[in-house]
Parts: sequence; structure tokens; C-alpha cells
Amino acid sequence: MELLAFVLLLALAGVFAGLVGSLTGVGGAVVIIPVLVLAFGAPFPIAAGAGLVTVLATSATTGAVYVRRHLTDLRIGMFLEIATVPGALVGAALTVVLVRHDLNNALLVALGGVLLVVFASSLVRLQEPTAGDTRPDRRSVELGLSGVYHDEQLGRSVAYQAARTDPALGVSFGAGLISGMFGIGGGVFKVYALEHYLRLPMKVATATSNFMIGVTAAAGAGVLLAAGYVDPYVAAPAAIGTAVGAVAGSRLLPGLKNQTVRYVFLFVIAGLAIETVLRGLRLL
Amino acid sequence: MSAAPSGDRALPPSAYARMGRVLWTGLVISLVLLAGAIVAELVEQPRAIYEGAESNPSRGYLTIDGLAAGLAAGAPVAYLTLGVLCLVATPFVRVAAGFYYFRRGGERTMAAITLIVLVLLLFGLLVLGPLVR
Repeated sequence: MELLAFVLLLALAGVFAGLVGSLTGVGGAVVIIPVLVLAFGAPFPIAAGAGLVTVLATSATTGAVYVRRHLTDLRIGMFLEIATVPGALVGAALTVVLVRHDLNNALLVALGGVLLVVFASSLVRLQEPTAGDTRPDRRSVELGLSGVYHDEQLGRSVAYQAARTDPALGVSFGAGLISGMFGIGGGVFKVYALEHYLRLPMKVATATSNFMIGVTAAAGAGVLLAAGYVDPYVAAPAAIGTAVGAVAGSRLLPGLKNQTVRYVFLFVIAGLAIETVLRGLRLL
Repeated sequence: MSAAPSGDRALPPSAYARMGRVLWTGLVISLVLLAGAIVAELVEQPRAIYEGAESNPSRGYLTIDGLAAGLAAGAPVAYLTLGVLCLVATPFVRVAAGFYYFRRGGERTMAAITLIVLVLLLFGLLVLGPLVR
């Protein structure tokens, strides 16, 4: 394929991935990685490296807005990074080792499985808003893992205090491992830790997860880049396209009242996940 | 105007504004480098055939010497690699800024946590990555 055609097609695929990732809330990397593998024939670690670079671009694009609105809790985000960053380092190193042992297809099957979990988690999240009281543990009080934000929809300030930090750290390590290993942001898992265990309000959880995604992706991308698995010809057009798609998606999202569109896109992701599993099993 | 999260021990508003600036600056620098390098590469090799990703063209630019030589020679791939590096470095700067603010606020535990995160990030890029290469 000519380089120009390759770059343009990849950038277009990135725009599609960013748009779908933004509208469904799962992130563009979840879409672009299987597209790179299935449509462009990229080897798994190159797709994962490009995925992490797209995560960095989209996290920076949307993260700046969240930080300026003071929705991001930098303290809680940084606290959980002590678990997600080691997870991402282990995950990325594991991917390199498994690729060296010619286990690309096993990684593809595992990636498809992770994408299906992301799909299922997103379906549940669309249906069940999290609620509950907060009972902070000792560490949360000592580190001051609490805050206040102004909710524009409610028209008042909302106070919160992080609750169970131990399980949140455990889930965060797992989220980092998945992010580093498969090149995705793992936001679904981070938001779960922030909402379910720390009992943060959804808006703060989403914004803080976005901040964490960038730092976690940098950890994994650093390993894959230094190991030679970030191909700039693949990563750059994918990242630019995904960032543009994510911005377009975030503009479209407020006007998108019908949940059906999001469900349709979620099933597109499920389809990509199943195709990835089949490719890994050499049935496609 | 929104209140800053973190209650009594909130970071100063300037910390949030500066973090936002770090993100935008990193993103803009990276995207300009990436887009510019792609255009330069397309001008240089308008009919280049993409051979697949098995041979990573940036491998020669992953050392400081190699990257500096590539940038000096005006190699588009060197600029692409620099763009990717800027994108990867942006969160490093965010964490470093967090360490600065926690330390300045006298929060030793949070400053220590942030410093550990920064050291781990550098360990991945400078030690673990080359080690498993």
C-alpha cells in the first residue's frame, strides 16, 4: 500500500475510533487496536504501542478540559497511580516477553476477551448509575482523599470522601496491567475502582480516571517505545485521527439524547472483539 | 466557578491551571511535530510502499545520539519519533508538577507518593524497556 494511502486510511480509522470511543465512553484505543490488527495487518505489539499513543493523545485532549473545570481530583489520581503505574510496567514487559516467545495469537485471544469485558462493563454502566454512602478508611482520612466540586446540573456543591482504598488499589493495579499489556486506556476498570470502592461522584470519577489513563499509558508506552514497538508511521496518524474523533465525539455527546446510538456502537466494539478472538484462534 | 477538589487540603488553583497548560502544550507540540513530519515524509517519498510494521523505522532514533543526528539531518522519521516522545513525556511533566506542588504545600506523604510514581515512569522508559528489548 502506498504510504499516503496508508496514512490517510489510518487517520480516517483513527477518527472513527475516536468518535466511537468517545460516544460509548470506552476510549478510542479499544476500537483502533482491533482495527489495526484486523484491517491493517499490524502485529499485536505494534498495535498495542499505537493504542497507548492514541490513549495519550485523547487523554491530553479531554484531560485539559477536566483539569481546568476542577473536576479532576489530582490527589486521588496520584494516590492510585502508585498501583496503576507498576501494573502498566509489568503488563508492557509481559507483552514484549510473550511476543518474543511467539505467543502473538494467544495475546490476540486475550485482547478479544478483555474487549468483551469492556463491552459488558459499559453495558452495565449505561444501565445502572452508581450510588451509595461513603465510609472512609484510615488511609483516606490521613491522606485527605476528599473534595468538593460544583455540579452544574444540580446547581450546588457536592462533597465526597474516598472510601475503601485497599480494593481500589488492587483494581487499579489490574487496570494498569491490562493497559500496559493490551495498549488500551482501561478507563472502564479505573472508573469502577473510583465509583464502586472509593464511592466518588460519577463526574469526578470520570475526570480523575482520564487523568490516570494518561499517566498509566505513559508508563506502558515508555516500555514499548524503548523496546522498539512504537512504530511512528502507525502511531502518529492513528493518534492524530483518534484525537480529532474524540473531540468531535465530545461535541456531539451532549446533543445525543438517544441511548440507542451508543448501544449500536457498543455492539460494533463487541463485533471487533469477537473478530479479534477468531483471528487469534486462526479461524478468520 | 467550581470549587477545587480535595477539601481543606486543596492544591492551589494555579496548580490546576498549570496542569491544564502542561497538557495542552504537550499535546500541541506533539501534534505539530507528528503532522509536520508526516507531511515532510510524504513530500520526500510520495510513492513509498509501506512494508508492514515488522521493521520499525524509528529504531535508529531511540538513543539521544541517534535522535540528535536524525533531527540535525532533517529526517522526517526522527521528527515523528520526537513527536511521539513529547506525547509520552507530557504525563511525566504532569507528575513532576504534582510533586512540586505537594512538596511546596508541605505534604510529605503525597510528595513521596508522587516522586515514586515519577521514578517508576522513568524506570520503565530508561531501564525496563531497553532491558526487555
